[in-house]
Amino acid sequence: MSMNLVGRLAKRNIFRNTRRTLLTICLVACGLAALLFTDAFVRGMTTSMIKISTETFLGDAQIHQQGFREANDIDIYIKDTKALFSQLDDNSTIKAYSPRTLSGGMLASSENVAAALIYGIDADKEAELSKLKKAMKRGRYLSGNADENSSNKRISNEILIGDDLAELLEVDLGDRIVVTLSQAHEGDLSQELFRVSGIFHFNDRQMDKNMAFVHLTQGKSMLGIKGVHEVALRLQHTEQADDKSLGLWKTLNNTNLETLNWRELIPQLSSMLNMSSYSTLIASIIMFVLVALGLINSMFMSIYERHNEFGILLAIGTRPKQLFWQILLEGFFIGVLSLLVGLILGTLLSYWKSISGIDYSGTEMSGISLNEPIYLIIDYLAFAKISLSVLVITVLSCIYPAIHAARLQPSFAMRKAL
Amino acid sequence: MSSAVIETKKLCRHFGEDETLVKALEDASITIEKGEFTAIIGPSGSGKSTLLQLIGGLDKPTYGKVILDNKNISHMNGTELSDFRRDHIGFIFQAYNLIPVLSAEENIEYIMLLQGLPAAERKQRVQTILNAVGLEGKGNRLPAQLSGGQQQRVAVARAMVSKPSLILADEPTANLDSHTGAALLDMMKELNEKENMTFIFSTHDPKIMERARRIIRLEDGRIVDDERRDR
Repeated sequence: MSMNLVGRLAKRNIFRNTRRTLLTICLVACGLAALLFTDAFVRGMTTSMIKISTETFLGDAQIHQQGFREANDIDIYIKDTKALFSQLDDNSTIKAYSPRTLSGGMLASSENVAAALIYGIDADKEAELSKLKKAMKRGRYLSGNADENSSNKRISNEILIGDDLAELLEVDLGDRIVVTLSQAHEGDLSQELFRVSGIFHFNDRQMDKNMAFVHLTQGKSMLGIKGVHEVALRLQHTEQADDKSLGLWKTLNNTNLETLNWRELIPQLSSMLNMSSYSTLIASIIMFVLVALGLINSMFMSIYERHNEFGILLAIGTRPKQLFWQILLEGFFIGVLSLLVGLILGTLLSYWKSISGIDYSGTEMSGISLNEPIYLIIDYLAFAKISLSVLVITVLSCIYPAIHAARLQPSFAMRKAL
Repeated sequence: MSSAVIETKKLCRHFGEDETLVKALEDASITIEKGEFTAIIGPSGSGKSTLLQLIGGLDKPTYGKVILDNKNISHMNGTELSDFRRDHIGFIFQAYNLIPVLSAEENIEYIMLLQGLPAAERKQRVQTILNAVGLEGKGNRLPAQLSGGQQQRVAVARAMVSKPSLILADEPTANLDSHTGAALLDMMKELNEKENMTFIFSTHDPKIMERARRIIRLEDGRIVDDERRDR
């Protein structure tokens, strides 16, 4: 039989019960729109979380002296910084880097005492790498690079603290803070007086309450070391952090140095993102199953209503196979209409939230504070794949009802007509 | 080779089993020659429709066999039966049973599309048969836009357009008023005489019995009388 006739019958049949067809289309379209939105949301969330965690302070990768991270010991630091910095300057993959010293210490104001992580940073290099400079809420950022031999005590004694820490210590701009920490090697206590030059706000409670920044020279001097504890790296593209074929991973991982990307530095985030992919897959499967069941139900209702008609079609010479294709085509047409509606709905919703974002301020996931809205990311190739999957599922869902229709005995079908 | 169009041999159709066993048809053996205008009569539940369905290959016999145009259709599979019905049998049902989403023309054309006839021939045959059944100018109407009598005319046209060797009509006048029913029967009788098509009716209608050249009476699933008339 000409497929033309099968197609004509299928097209006309789907609008015989307009309400049911529209409800079926709504079911499949809403399922598709939800899947598209979820896909765009997960992409947006993944990108946001990577961006937040790497751009705020961490960097795309970090270099440490071998053993530092395991022991968390300030005695283990990178000594030959000159050679390392020269190597980093020459590497075109690296966009920026920032050397840091870090140590736990005690901050005492005239009113209170608090423990914090004291970072010694190179002000200019840090400004290129992290968001510290942009996070300044009040006061000013560290004033340029203080030379190790600087006689300008005012500049070198600047300290930046978070607003939560400032509140705890009951200090404001210009107030004095005494920083006490233990020196490397001997463990002698080292004390220095600083003046609060700036107060930052990362919108991350952990960072705003537990971090303080001084000049790198000051950090080195207080710790009594000649090197740095870590060098944070910003790569040309964040994705390069996952590309282990790049030369920098080989040259910067040796008996002295350990260079890790953000996935290795915060494995809990990496695991969470992997879990998100699985969650999306599971949600998709559940959605596919629900859509398929809804469609099978709808198709069976339609078939039961038309038992008599199928009996007639078979009686006058329609082959069972032709009836099978007719039902499948009906499913295909419903699928195409649902795809169009769902695609438009899902794309519009995703586009809207890719512009306005979804505000999760104050929420923390896997140790990452979502300090900026999640902007959905539309991947049109993924959208096309999901849409086609839904179309395939729609057609596949019709196989069972189509087999049922094709196997009808004409006399039975005509007797059983509703 | 037999000259008979239809031959049934010890045809039985049973439904259910044990206590619920219903013997709808028992040992029905008949032979129908080409061009016959036969009525199968009997009270409700006597097995008329069952016999018609078995002859038309719409149902499978429990025992016995049906030979149509020298072919045993009892053991054909679904596709073979569909093809056989398409090429050899026309059906007319009590409730018209047109395809509601197709127009009168399309309903008539449907079987020829299944047969793969060229478009020009299909169109020509549709117009000829529409004229023959008195429905010229109404070909574009959907079944719902036609009266009962008109729908049954379309059903007759659909059954005859492919020029089958056999037309099976299950109480074709039951839902029609007497005038429309009589007119339709006259039309079928005329086609039977002109085209020499074989007609078998299952009916209670005295008008059909009046016109039939052969009357087969069924009671409780058994053939109790087979009367031939010369008219």
